[in-house]
Amino acid sequence: MKKSSSRGFGTALLLFILGLIAGTVVAVLLHTLTTGKFENGYLLDLPSWLLGALVAVVAFLYALIGYYGVVKGLLWQVAGTLLGALFVTALRAALGMPYSDMNTFWFTESAWVTGVMVGTLFFLAGVGAITDWYKMALGQTVSEHHTDVPGFRKYFGVSLDHKVIGIQYTFTSLLLLSVGGLFALVFRTELAQAGMQFLSIELYNTLMSLHGMVMIVSILLGIAGVMNYLVPMMIGAQDMAFPRLNAFSFWIAIPAAVILLSSLALGGFDTGWTGYPPLSVRAPLGMSMFFVGVWVAGWSSILGALNLIVSVLRLRAKGMIAFRMPIFVWAATATSIISLTATQMIGLAFQLVLFQRLLGMPFFDSTKGGNPILFQHLFWFYSHPVVYVFVLPGLGVISELLPVFVRKPLFGYKWVAMSSLGIALVGFLVWAHHMFASGMNEYLRVPFMFSTLLVAVPTGVKFFSWVATLWQGKLVRDLPTPMLFVLGGIVVFLLGGLTGPPNATVSTDLHLTDTYYIVGHFHDTMFGGYIFPFFASIYYWFPKATGKRLNEKLGKWHFWLMTPSFLILTLFMMRVGLLGMRRRIGDYDPAMGFGLWQMAMTIAAFLIAAAILIFFYNIYLTVKSGENATGNVWKSRSPEWQVPSPMPVYNYEHEFEVVGEPYDYGLPGSVYVKINSEEV
Amino acid sequence: MQKNVHHYVIMSVLVIVVTILTYWGLNVLGLMPVQASSQAVQIDWLFDIEVKLIAFFFALIMVPLCYSLVVFRQKEGDETDAEHIEGNTPLELTWTAIPLVIVIALGIIGADNLRQIKTVDPQAIEIKVIAQQWKWLFQYPEGFSSTKLYLPVNQQVDLKMQSQDVIHSFWVPEFRISQDVVPGSIEDYRITPNLLGNYKVRCNEMCGKNHAYMESDVLVVSQADYKTWVGTQALSAKATEMASAGKPDAGRGQTLYQESGCPACHSLDGSKGIGPTWKGLFQSQVKLTTGSSVLADDAYLTESIKLPQAKTVAGFSVNAMPNFSYLTDGQVADLVEFIKTIK
Amino acid sequence: MAHQHDSGSLRQGFVIFIILAFLTFIEYVIAITNQSVLLLTIVAIVKSGMVLYYYMHISKLGENEDSTDHHSAEWKLVTNRLGFWLFILSDAFLFAGLLTTRFNLLGFTRPDLDRNLGLIVTGVLLISSFFMNRAETQMAHGDQKGFLISTSITMLLGIGFLAGVVGVEWQRAPFSAGDSAMSAVFYMMTGMHAFHVLTGVIFLGVVLNNARKGLYTAENHWAVEAATVYWHFVDVVWIFFYPALYLIGRLVQ
Ligand code: HEA
Ligand code: HEA
Ligand code: HEC
Ligand code: CUA
Ligand SMILES: [Cu+2]
Repeated sequence: MKKSSSRGFGTALLLFILGLIAGTVVAVLLHTLTTGKFENGYLLDLPSWLLGALVAVVAFLYALIGYYGVVKGLLWQVAGTLLGALFVTALRAALGMPYSDMNTFWFTESAWVTGVMVGTLFFLAGVGAITDWYKMALGQTVSEHHTDVPGFRKYFGVSLDHKVIGIQYTFTSLLLLSVGGLFALVFRTELAQAGMQFLSIELYNTLMSLHGMVMIVSILLGIAGVMNYLVPMMIGAQDMAFPRLNAFSFWIAIPAAVILLSSLALGGFDTGWTGYPPLSVRAPLGMSMFFVGVWVAGWSSILGALNLIVSVLRLRAKGMIAFRMPIFVWAATATSIISLTATQMIGLAFQLVLFQRLLGMPFFDSTKGGNPILFQHLFWFYSHPVVYVFVLPGLGVISELLPVFVRKPLFGYKWVAMSSLGIALVGFLVWAHHMFASGMNEYLRVPFMFSTLLVAVPTGVKFFSWVATLWQGKLVRDLPTPMLFVLGGIVVFLLGGLTGPPNATVSTDLHLTDTYYIVGHFHDTMFGGYIFPFFASIYYWFPKATGKRLNEKLGKWHFWLMTPSFLILTLFMMRVGLLGMRRRIGDYDPAMGFGLWQMAMTIAAFLIAAAILIFFYNIYLTVKSGENATGNVWKSRSPEWQVPSPMPVYNYEHEFEVVGEPYDYGLPGSVYVKINSEEV
Repeated sequence: MQKNVHHYVIMSVLVIVVTILTYWGLNVLGLMPVQASSQAVQIDWLFDIEVKLIAFFFALIMVPLCYSLVVFRQKEGDETDAEHIEGNTPLELTWTAIPLVIVIALGIIGADNLRQIKTVDPQAIEIKVIAQQWKWLFQYPEGFSSTKLYLPVNQQVDLKMQSQDVIHSFWVPEFRISQDVVPGSIEDYRITPNLLGNYKVRCNEMCGKNHAYMESDVLVVSQADYKTWVGTQALSAKATEMASAGKPDAGRGQTLYQESGCPACHSLDGSKGIGPTWKGLFQSQVKLTTGSSVLADDAYLTESIKLPQAKTVAGFSVNAMPNFSYLTDGQVADLVEFIKTIK
Repeated sequence: MAHQHDSGSLRQGFVIFIILAFLTFIEYVIAITNQSVLLLTIVAIVKSGMVLYYYMHISKLGENEDSTDHHSAEWKLVTNRLGFWLFILSDAFLFAGLLTTRFNLLGFTRPDLDRNLGLIVTGVLLISSFFMNRAETQMAHGDQKGFLISTSITMLLGIGFLAGVVGVEWQRAPFSAGDSAMSAVFYMMTGMHAFHVLTGVIFLGVVLNNARKGLYTAENHWAVEAATVYWHFVDVVWIFFYPALYLIGRLVQ
C-alpha cells in the first residue's frame, strides 16, 4: 500500500469489524422480530452472519475507495434486489396470490428470483458498466479512448484496459478461491471423524455443494484473468477487440458471485454442484440462488470468450500468423470455443429447473411426462467440456513456460497447438461418461466410452512433448518458483489424467462413480491443470504487472508445503474411494475404518491452506516492499517481455512485427518480434 | 545422437523398474474391497489392466522428467541455452499412434467386459427394490417385504428397482456395480453374489439431507438358508394378514411408519420436521397453502398419503413428500389408524 | 460493402420472400398429407439457408480487409460483424437445446394447437423479415425515409407476432404450463422465442429512433445491420420451431 492510503487501510479494517458486528446484530434483530425465533437452526445464525459480512465488506471498501465503483454497485444491487422483490410481492398481493413467507425468508421464491435479477442490472448500472451502451442507444457519442482514475482505485471501478480487467479477474478469482477453500476447510474438519460434530447435515450439504460451484466460478474467473491479461500482449494488440464488453463480462461476475453465495443464507441446497432434478426441484430457496448465480456467471464466460476469439482473429500484429502465435494463445482460443457455445446448455438446463420450481412446468417430473435424465444430458453437455476450459489455459501456461526455463524450443509446437483444439473438439463428444450409471439409454454407453478414451491421445501428445522439451534441456539451476509450479502441475495433472481412463471404461466406472475416487481424480486434474499453472503464472507475470518480483523464498515455501500435502489429500481420497467411500456424505460408517485416512486428509487440507496464506503474505510483502524487476526477468522471447515492466497503458507504443519463431531458444541471433523501441 | 545412447538405455531401464515397482506397490497395498460377486471378478480384472497402464505411463512420464531434472540441469556457471531441437515428426506420430492403438484396444476390452457383466441368467430371482428418501425396501416375489436384502449365494438375482421421489443409486461396494434409480422408470440390476457375508447397500447418488445415512444391510447367505428365510418370512406375512384381515390396525401402521421412512419427516411428539407432525393431527383443522383449511378426517389423511400433492399444508413445500404409490389400500388404512392414535 | 446494393437487391429480396412463402405453404401441405419428418426437416433447412444467405448475408463474414489500421471504420465493421455472429452462434446453442428438449420429451407427438393460427403467425414473421430486408437495403441506398417506413412496418409485424403467440395462442391453448411436459415445452419454446422477438423489437426501436436523428448513413450503419441480422436470426429460429411445434408428430389424446 502506498503511504497516502495506509491510514485509509487502518480505518477500513476498523470499519470492516464494526460493519460485521452491526450488520449481524441488525440481521439478528430483524430475524427475531419477524419470526419470533432467535436462531435459525444452524450453529450460527447464518443469514445474519452473511448479511453482516456483506455490510462489513462494503464498509471496508467504502473506507478504502469511497462511494465509487464496486461499493456503489453493491449498494445498488441490494437496493435493486429489494425493489424487484417488493414489486413482485405487491403484484402477487394484488393478484390475490400468497405473497410472503415470514417463517422462512420473508419474500416468496419468485420475488427473490426476480429481485436478484433486477439487483444484477442495478449493480451493472451502479458500477457504471453499461453507461456507455446506454448512451449509445440514445444516440449520444461516447469517447473512443479511456482514461483510468489514478492509483489503485482504478481496480475497484470500471476500467476498459485489458490489463486492469485481467488483474480484477485474477483478484476476484483468488477471493473466491479463498471462500471456496474456507468452505472446504470447514466441512473437511467435520469429516475428520465419523459422526456429526459441529455441522448440521444440511449445512454440510450446502457447504459441500457451494464449495464445488464457488471453486468452479473461481476457475472461470481465474482463466479469464490470465487470458485477458496475456492474450492482447502476446498477439501484439493494444487491447481486446471490445473493451466495453470486456469490462461488462468482468463486472457481471461480481453480482453473480454475490447471488451464488447468498444461497448459503437463504436455506442452502443439497444437490452438489450438479443440481440434478428432481432433488433440485424440492430443495430450499438457496437452490434458486445457485441456479440464478451460475446463470449470470455464465454470461460472463460467454461474452468473455466471444471477445477473446474476435481479438485473436482480428487483432494480431503484423506477421503474427497462426503458427507463430505463442502457444498460450492457441490454448486460450480453444478454451473460448467451448465457453462460447456450450455454456448456453447449462444455462438452459438451469432455467428449465427454475421454471419447474417457480411455475410448476414439469420438465423433469416423470409423473407428467418429464424426464430427469434430460437434465443430465444438457448439464453435462456443458459441464464436461468445461473441464477442458479449466485445464487448457493451464496446460498452455505449462507449454509457454517450459521452453523459457529449459532454454530449448517447445518440442513439436504445431502438435501441441493442434492438441489443444483436438481436446476441445473431442471434449464435446464425451459428456455422457458422467452418466454411465444413470439409467440413460444403454446403447449410448459404449460409444461414449470410446470417445472419452480418445481424449487421452491429444493429452498424451502434450505430455510427451513436454517431456521431450525437458529432455536435454538446460533447466535453470535454482529452479525459480514459477518453474516449480510448472513441474508440480505436470506431475499432478498426470495423476489426474491417468486416473481418467478407469472412469471411462463403463464397467469399472460402475464401481468408481460417485466415490471419493472420482473426487480424487478431479482434484488432481483441476489442481494440476489449473491451480498449479495459475500460481505459476502469477509468480511469472507478477513483475510484468507490477514491476516487482515476488519473494522467491516464500514462493518456495508455498510450493513445498502445498504440493506434498495436496498429493496426500488426493491420493488418500482415491484410496478410500476405491474401498467404498461415497461422495457427498457428511457422515460415514465408522465400521469402514477410514478414520485415520480422513484425519490425515483434513490435516493435509489445512496445510494447503497454510501454503496459500503464505502466498497471500508474499503478495502483501512484495507490493509493500518488493524487489524491483522491470526488465526481462526470465530472459523470455515472448513479446510482452521485450518492453519494460509494468506494461504501458497501450502495451506497445511502437511498431511491432513478428519476424521469427516464438521458441527458438538456443538458436543464436534469432528474433521473435521486432519492436522498434529502445532495448530493455 | 550417438553420444546420448546411454541416456536412453538408462532411462528405459528406469521406466521398466519404476513401472514394476509402482504396480507391485499398489498391489501390496490392495486397492479394492473383497470381491463378493462374479461381476466383481470381471471388473477387477479390467481394473487391474488399467492399473498396469497407469503404472507404465506414470513411469514413462515421470522417469524422463526427473532424469532431465537431475542430469541435464544447467551446470554451474553455464549461461548458454540448450541445443536447438524443434521437434521430430516421426516421434510425434509414434506417440500419437501408440496411445491411439492402446485406447482402442482398451475400448474393445471394455465393451466386452461390459457385455460379460451384463450376462443374463433366465433363472434369476426377481426382487423388487423400492428406493425413497432415505431408505430401501425390498419386496420378494413370495409376497412379503423386508428392509434387509437377503440374497442366495451363486445365484443371479435381478433387482427391479424403482424410486418414489428423487434419484438414488444402488451400490454395494463389494459387488462393484452401482445403478441409479430414477423416478418414473424401472431399472434392472443383475448381480451374482459369490461370497457369503454381510455387506451394505449404500445409496450412491446425492438424494437430499440424509443421503449419507441411506444404507441397508445386504446379507449373502447359502441357498438353503435363503430358502428357509424366505419360507418363514412368507409365513409370518400371511399370518399377520390373516389375523386382522380386513380391519385396519394401528400396530401394523406403526411398523409401516418405521419401515416406510415416515419418521424422516413426520414426528410424533409435536416437533416440526420436513413435514408436519402427526401429534394431534386427527380431527384437527389443517391450514393449507391455498389459505383455506380442512378437517383432518379419514378421507383427508388417506388422500394425503396417496396423493401428497393434492393438498399442501401451509408452510411446507408441495413436492417434498414422496409418492407412496406402492402402499396398498390396506396399508394406508393401517397408517391412518396409527395416526389416529397420536394424540 | 453495403452500397453495392442496387434496386436489383430490392427485387431479390422480394423473390426470396416469394420462395420462402411458397416453401412455408409446402410445409403445411406436407404436414397435413404425409407428415414426412424428413421432408419437413429438409424444407426447414432450405428455408433457413436462404435466410442466412440472402437476408443475413452470412457471406459477408468472409469479407476481410487486410488494413492494419485498427481505427478505420472499415476494420471496425468487420470486427463488429464477427463478434455479433459469434453471439448469434452462441444463442443458437440455446435454441438447439430447446429443440433437443422438445424431441427428448415429446418424441414424435405434438401439442394440440391451432394449425391455422400457427400458419398465420409464421406468415406474419416471414413478412416482417421481408420488410426488414427492405429496410436494410433502403438504408444502404441512402433512402432514409424508406428505411423509417419499412422498419416501422417490421416492428409492427413483430408486435403482431407477439400478440398472436402470447395474446392469442397462449390463451387459447387447451392446457396450462403446469399440466404436462408437453405444455411446458410449448410455453418454454414459444416464450423463449417471444422474448427474443421482444428484444428484437426494442432493438429496432432504438435503431429507428437513432435513424430519425440521422445517425446512420449509407456507408456507415452498423447498428442497422446488427438489428437486421438479429431479426432474421429470430426468424430462422422460428423456421425450426414452427414445424417442431405445429407440424411434426401426431396428436396424443
Ligand atoms: C480439469 C478437469 C478434468 C479433466 C482434465 C478431466 C479429464 C478426464 N476425465 Fe474427468 N472429471 C472431472 C474433471 C476433469 N476430468 C470432474 C470435475 C469430474 C466429476 C464431475 C462430478 O461428477 O462432480 C470428472 C469425472 C469424470 C468421469 C465420470 C466419473 C463418474 O462420475 O462416474 C469420467 C468418466 O469417464 C472422467 C474421465 C476423464 C478422462 C478420460 C479424462 C481425460 O481427459 C484424461 C486424459 C489424460 C491422460 C490419460 C493422461 C495423459 C496421457 C498419456 C500419458 C497418454 C497415454 C495414456 C493412455 C493411453 C491411457 N472424468
Ligand atoms: C478448483 C477447484 C477445487 C479446488 C481448488 C478444491 C480444493 C479443495 N477441495 Fe474440493 N471440490 C471441488 C473443486 C475444488 N476443490 C468440486 C467441483 C467438488 C465437487 C462438489 C460436489 O460434489 O458437488 C469438490 C468436492 C470436494 C470434496 C468432496 C465433498 C463431498 O463429496 O462430500 C472434498 C472432501 O474432502 C473436497 C476437499 C477440498 C480441499 C480440502 C481443498 C483444498 O485444496 C482447499 C485449500 C484451501 C484453500 C484454497 C483456501 C486457502 C485460503 C485461506 C485459508 C484464506 C481464507 C481467508 C479468508 C477468506 C479471510 N472437495
Ligand atoms: C421426505 C419427507 C416426507 C416423508 C418421508 C413423508 N412425508 Fe408426509 N408430508 C411431508 C410434507 C412436507 C407434508 C406437508 C406438505 C403436503 O401436505 O404435501 C406431508 C404431509 C403429510 C400428511 C398430511 C399431514 C397434515 O398435517 O395435514 C400425511 C397424512 C402424511 N404426510 C403422511 C405420511 C406418511 C404415511 C408417510 C410415510 C409412509 C409420510 N408422510 C412420509 C413430507 C414427508
Ligand atoms: Cu438415496 Cu442418496
Ligand atoms: Cu467428464
